[in-house]
Amino acid sequence: MIARRDRPGTFYLTLASAIALTLVYLPPALDVFRPYWVALILIYWCLESQALVNLGKAFIIGLLLDLLGGSLLGLHALSLVILVYLVTRFRARLRFFPPWQQALSVFALLLNDRIILLWIISLRGDPLPSFGFWLPPIVGTLLWPWLFLLLDRVRGAMRRRTSS
Amino acid sequence: MVTGSSGAGTKFFGPATQTARLMLYGLLAIVLMAMDQRGHYVASVRSQVAYLAEPVYHVMEWPVRAMRNVFGQMQSRRSLRQENTALKEQLLSQQGALQRLATLAEENHRLRALIEGAEGQAFEYQFAELVRVDLDPFSHKVMVDRGSSDGVEAGQAVIDGAGVMGQVEDVLLHFSTIRLISDPNHALPVQINRTGLRTVAFGSGVTGVLKLPSVPRQADIREGDLVVTSGLGDRFPGGYPVATVTAIDRQEGQTFVLVEATPLAALDRGREVLLIDSPAPKVDEQPLPDQLEAGDGEKASGDEQGGQEAEEPESAEVDSLEGEP
Repeated sequence: MIARRDRPGTFYLTLASAIALTLVYLPPALDVFRPYWVALILIYWCLESQALVNLGKAFIIGLLLDLLGGSLLGLHALSLVILVYLVTRFRARLRFFPPWQQALSVFALLLNDRIILLWIISLRGDPLPSFGFWLPPIVGTLLWPWLFLLLDRVRGAMRRRTSS
Repeated sequence: MVTGSSGAGTKFFGPATQTARLMLYGLLAIVLMAMDQRGHYVASVRSQVAYLAEPVYHVMEWPVRAMRNVFGQMQSRRSLRQENTALKEQLLSQQGALQRLATLAEENHRLRALIEGAEGQAFEYQFAELVRVDLDPFSHKVMVDRGSSDGVEAGQAVIDGAGVMGQVEDVLLHFSTIRLISDPNHALPVQINRTGLRTVAFGSGVTGVLKLPSVPRQADIREGDLVVTSGLGDRFPGGYPVATVTAIDRQEGQTFVLVEATPLAALDRGREVLLIDSPAPKVDEQPLPDQLEAGDGEKASGDEQGGQEAEEPESAEVDSLEGEP
């Protein structure tokens, strides 16, 4: 049982790729479709291997994202802390949903996140964003089943390597 | 704290503790955001920590750079030749225009010197390229590949081929971030080129729109007017094009008209920018009252200015021009 535990290395590797995907340059036309990679990765690890994710980590990851991305310090920290809290809260149910239902709940989580962001934007006095603002949750939802399978593969491979 | 809650810890603490921690972190995040927004402490801490982020940007930019190199290699000889001739033609026509401009600039210098004006100095430009790293879309910032090792300083004005882009905010070793004029918290002192009407251009949060909220109702302003920097506020040198007026909304009973303008610079799709090295602050060049009386006094102030900015070749030229007649 102990040999089959997830190593934190896998978690940090996928997290680093998610941050890289957030920062990597995309042409402006594609940029609006960029999903919230870090959130998707955190949802996955929170569901599958809860020992690796907690609110403190989510907060620190969010701060890191704010520093790298140049957004308001604490913005992503708040959004990720709320996200991880919600996933932890409903973890037992979410884990045993069929894939499409799980994708729907991921959509709800990402949408909730956007609403929080919208709230912060309006508090700052920025104008309300255009339609493109609502695209990333949709893209994230469509990606979710495939991302889930991919991450499962990665995790399995890493596990086998550690146990052998 | 992290070790205490990791493992199966959260399971035993139950939802109440979890909610309390959510509140704690949420509050912390909100306090941080408020402090960052108001510009207390956080900004300086942030610019210190940003140095740690620099290697990440290097790594992130590398694949894009490599790809660009590969595409550059693959460009055919013929297309390069065509581009070369096109660029030569462009250079020639612009040189022609510049010749005329040079005489105008000299004349302007002379006239300005006569009225002891502070404007009309030459600036030095530093070329920089946008770094292909996508920052948060709501931050209204871009990053360029020049930093403190290249002599970039916070507050420098940034333009591209068409107009003003923004100003340097954080300076790292090899990178610096630029706050765009489209940021809602950014204000730019401008004037309408046609009439000289001075006002302030605010960002609107949308890349393609600037707002000029303090134009009086009676003011002479039309659609299509060119908006240029006024040089007030000492950050941006005067006379650089900023935007064209696109919409004017004169509402009944309002003291001010709502003016919208479209920035000329390619804020979201440009690649090359220029950082402007402003010369010494303008305060130094204000003539003292006793120097206004005689022509000798004027020369003295000119010499003094030359001494202060030894590295500025242009001020020496102004002196020689003054000596000519």
